[in-house]
Amino acid sequence: MPLHLTRRLLLQSTAATLALAAMGAKTAAAAGGGRLIVAADSEPKNLNPAIVASNGVFFIASKVIEPLAEASFTGKDGLEPRLATDWEGSADGLSATFRLREGVTWHDGKPFTSADVAFSALNLWKPLQNLGRIVFANLADVETPDAATAIFRFSKPTPFQMIRNALPVVTSVVPKHLFEGTDIAANPANNRLVGTGPFKFAEYRPGEYYRLERNAGYWSEDQPALNEIVYRVLPDRAGAATALEAEEIHLAAFSAVPLADLDRISKVPGLQVVTKGYEALTYQLIVEINHRRKELADVRVRRAIAHAIDRDFVVRTIFLGHAQAATGPVPQNATEFYTPDVPAYAFDVAKANALLDEAGYPRDANGTRFTLKLLAAPYFSETRQFGDYLRQALAKIGIDAGLASNDSAAHQKAVYTDHAFDLAVAPPVFRGDPAISTTILVQSGLPAGVPFSNQGGYANAELDGVIAKAAETVDEKARIALYNEFQRLVAEDLPLINVAEWGFTTVTRDTVANVGSNPRWAVSNWADLAVTE
Amino acid sequence: MNFLGRIAAAPGGGAGLAILGLLALAAFSAHAFFPGDPLRIAGPALVPPFSSGDFPLGTDRLGRDVLACLMHGAGISLLVGIAAAAAAILLGVAVGAVSGFAGGFIDECLMRVVETFQIVPGFLLALAFASVFGASLPVIILAIALAAWAEPARLTRAEVLSIREQDYVASARALGMHPLEIAFKEILPNALAPVLALAALMVAGAILTEAALSFLGLGDPNVVTWGSMIAEGRNVIRSAPWLSILPGLALMLTVLGVYLFSEGLSHALRARP
Amino acid sequence: MARALTLVRRRLLGSIPVLLLVVALTFLLLESASGDAADAYLLSIGGGDAAFAETLRQAYGLDQSVWARLWLYVQALARLDLGWSVAFNRPVSDLVLERLPNTLLLMGTATALSFALGSFLGILAGSRPGSLRDRLLSAGSLTLYAVPGFWLGLVLVIVFSVWLRWLPTSGLETIASGKHGLARAADIGRHLVLPVGALGVIYTALFLRVMRSGMAEIWERDFILFARSRGIPRRRILLSHVARNALLPLVTVLGLQSAAMLGGSVVIESVFAIPGFGRLAHEAVSGRDAPLLMGVILVSAVMVIAVNLLIDVVYAALDPRIGGREAGP
Repeated sequence: MPLHLTRRLLLQSTAATLALAAMGAKTAAAAGGGRLIVAADSEPKNLNPAIVASNGVFFIASKVIEPLAEASFTGKDGLEPRLATDWEGSADGLSATFRLREGVTWHDGKPFTSADVAFSALNLWKPLQNLGRIVFANLADVETPDAATAIFRFSKPTPFQMIRNALPVVTSVVPKHLFEGTDIAANPANNRLVGTGPFKFAEYRPGEYYRLERNAGYWSEDQPALNEIVYRVLPDRAGAATALEAEEIHLAAFSAVPLADLDRISKVPGLQVVTKGYEALTYQLIVEINHRRKELADVRVRRAIAHAIDRDFVVRTIFLGHAQAATGPVPQNATEFYTPDVPAYAFDVAKANALLDEAGYPRDANGTRFTLKLLAAPYFSETRQFGDYLRQALAKIGIDAGLASNDSAAHQKAVYTDHAFDLAVAPPVFRGDPAISTTILVQSGLPAGVPFSNQGGYANAELDGVIAKAAETVDEKARIALYNEFQRLVAEDLPLINVAEWGFTTVTRDTVANVGSNPRWAVSNWADLAVTE
Repeated sequence: MNFLGRIAAAPGGGAGLAILGLLALAAFSAHAFFPGDPLRIAGPALVPPFSSGDFPLGTDRLGRDVLACLMHGAGISLLVGIAAAAAAILLGVAVGAVSGFAGGFIDECLMRVVETFQIVPGFLLALAFASVFGASLPVIILAIALAAWAEPARLTRAEVLSIREQDYVASARALGMHPLEIAFKEILPNALAPVLALAALMVAGAILTEAALSFLGLGDPNVVTWGSMIAEGRNVIRSAPWLSILPGLALMLTVLGVYLFSEGLSHALRARP
Repeated sequence: MARALTLVRRRLLGSIPVLLLVVALTFLLLESASGDAADAYLLSIGGGDAAFAETLRQAYGLDQSVWARLWLYVQALARLDLGWSVAFNRPVSDLVLERLPNTLLLMGTATALSFALGSFLGILAGSRPGSLRDRLLSAGSLTLYAVPGFWLGLVLVIVFSVWLRWLPTSGLETIASGKHGLARAADIGRHLVLPVGALGVIYTALFLRVMRSGMAEIWERDFILFARSRGIPRRRILLSHVARNALLPLVTVLGLQSAAMLGGSVVIESVFAIPGFGRLAHEAVSGRDAPLLMGVILVSAVMVIAVNLLIDVVYAALDPRIGGREAGP
């Protein structure tokens, strides 16, 4: 079927292997595309990515509703166009101009225009969205001189670098004609999605599955390759591996197959493990510290704890190699911002003990210096396992850490509202730019009740100054320098301890092609994904 | 000893006693064989059983000694089972006795409460209770007890009501004994026998409930229980099946031992003159 | 008939205070939890600021006092309105009606099969108490009764779904299969085998034991000894006297166990990813969704009451003293 092998597809393919896979995919698409069955571990209550910018929502919604741009391995600034074809920020940081794709229609047939972008930005992203609230805090207006141009106007300088890095996450565009004049939070279109993406939302059976259907009128010709995507709800993580092996599902993303089972399952004929496709979805394993505790307010104690953690063990045993030891608050794969030039804390129990002795906390008759309350976030099995490990590691330096078991809501309340913890294990996400992720974990002055933020009572005027300055610095080089300084300060004073950084893995049948084709693959549109059988 | 001998002589009773004795031995000697925290990381991860002299039953995901966990887990499982059953019986007997003696409006009210706990699926209640108050050992024991106290309460009340009407109680009353004295000396001891026969079954039930709660992630993370071992082993059930099979077998054996013991017990009670 | 009606009416009236107590206890339990529905929601979307959390609390009505909310709920309940689930943003009654059939299907099948099989095996064992067959069946049932159901489920999945590939691993039917009628029923049946097995084995063992011990006791009774002395064939005595009388306590056990079975299905539903009542309750607790949890527990309680009522009626029909005289002594 050489006819279907379009020039554009060849150009877009990033590697010869991808092109080959795509060739196979095209054949299947022409023959009917096929159905892909995917494991989903949660059913988001609000599925609208313009309101809830979280990976759980994107996993399903990104196939239906598109952002202005998507992350890319090869594109300029790590982006490739989606609903916008071109973008530019002004030198003063007060405006940003987007050229929009023409000839795009919504799934209900209405045309997509700049009015939809302006409406989404002003009525959803800025006021309602968890991340858009930060990125577009100073958005004053969106001008639409014509149907294919949107100009964002800011009341204060807003670094375009930050907006650019946030584009894939915060700019999901929803149709103005379905949301205007309604109570947006209660709009049924938050769950029965209507978008411009390669798939249409077809059916949802709570507790069982979501079904998406091919959008025949998708703007990118010959895409999508699949006819249908079915998300089978398997809330119990261990269920995904068995379902894959029993050939009931094709694909399980986001490490739904436990890491400890990967080695075995990679040897099962017909299954493969893919680690690509999560490069822009880095999770950070951190120890949050409550600085209200007298002992923990002493930087020597914090350094002792940092020295007591064997990062190598964490990477090797808990993550089975599917992670990297962290050096500071910015992960290593964020190459734009990362600097290795920070104080390091090697695994050294003797040094940790010496630091604690020096800080004035001798061991008592039982060998205990003091006791702490340790809360491990229950969201991932790795965070819970690291909690188990940390308790043992602290015991070696004479700190008796009692683990408290909480479910998600109780953990949230205990750590981020009641501050009823001494140490907590958390897995925050790095979202491509420090301004919208890691800085919130250390900056002071945040009210209680904000999840995944600095609730440990840490306040450092110098650090706050750097963060505030970077937030309004438009020049990219100067901004990067500020974030390098930020990393050095955090590693020096340890408001929290960065332990490791990890991406996820996908396990798929080997008949599925183009898995991991971009750095946000699991939460991108899957227009090129194909099943060849 | 004579009574224990009678239990041992009953069919299955001997086996039950032997199993429980072995478990108690494992639980009490755990600290001697494996001093310190059994959750300590002792060696390389996922060592298979019978392959290393240091870890006869292998190690788990983080390199914890499975044999140490199993032996320490025996103690915790028995502790939870016995404590929860004891708490449930204490509460049940207290409510049932008050209800039976007081009668009238108090009886009516208390029995409505008992009925409430009987019609709500006990496991749902324990699940909600443990998630709401955070899974620690005392909370789990209380949660299981809350789900199980209604039956002993009902039984105690029925016994008290029937014994109250019997001749020897009437004659004690005629002799001018104080009502409280009658209650504690004549009625309660006799009413307790059938409730205690229930005790062994309640211990077994409590052990299984604890395991199921741990399995759903509601276990105390500071101690090792068989249920939490199964739950952790589940993630690697294909590559390291022993991690969930061993504690499962231990659990089964324990519950079987308790059942056999309880059969022997009721046999011995019945054979009593 | 009039007697039965009186019984039904009295029991229904009597259950109202009990149900109110259930509501109050559930409500207060969830109220004392750490973290509320807003915390749970914020968590699910990956965070938000304090003002947003306040807006959510207002939208959920969490800014009102505990008692005001409880009173509102009871008032709605009087109108048979189960309220609004904040976690799912849907009416509780919709959710309950959606999940209830799945649990009923699972439990009903498991109960029916284990009751039939358990009483049959019980008769086999109890027909000659003390025989080798009796001892084998008794020992076997005791062992099965000691197996943790969720663990059995795990083992069954590995053996029958992954190794042998005979049966599906999870779910209640093949998703989005588009099957109808008999094909769909067969599909559901295939999915039910393993969960019903895991849930039913324990109850089969229980029913077997109750039946067997009941029969062993009845064999010793005077009227049986009398019947045997009169030369009535053993087989006839076994079926029409011993087994029939031993069936009564079995029915009682069924009623007593109905609440426990509903609870036991929670874990099995989790192992087999079945969207039933148990999972809904679990989701309600983790979402701090008081109306939903109350709805689930209330409906479970009503079901348990209904089952017990039904059993009383059945009991009356089975009891020889009320029913046919010829079976009695």
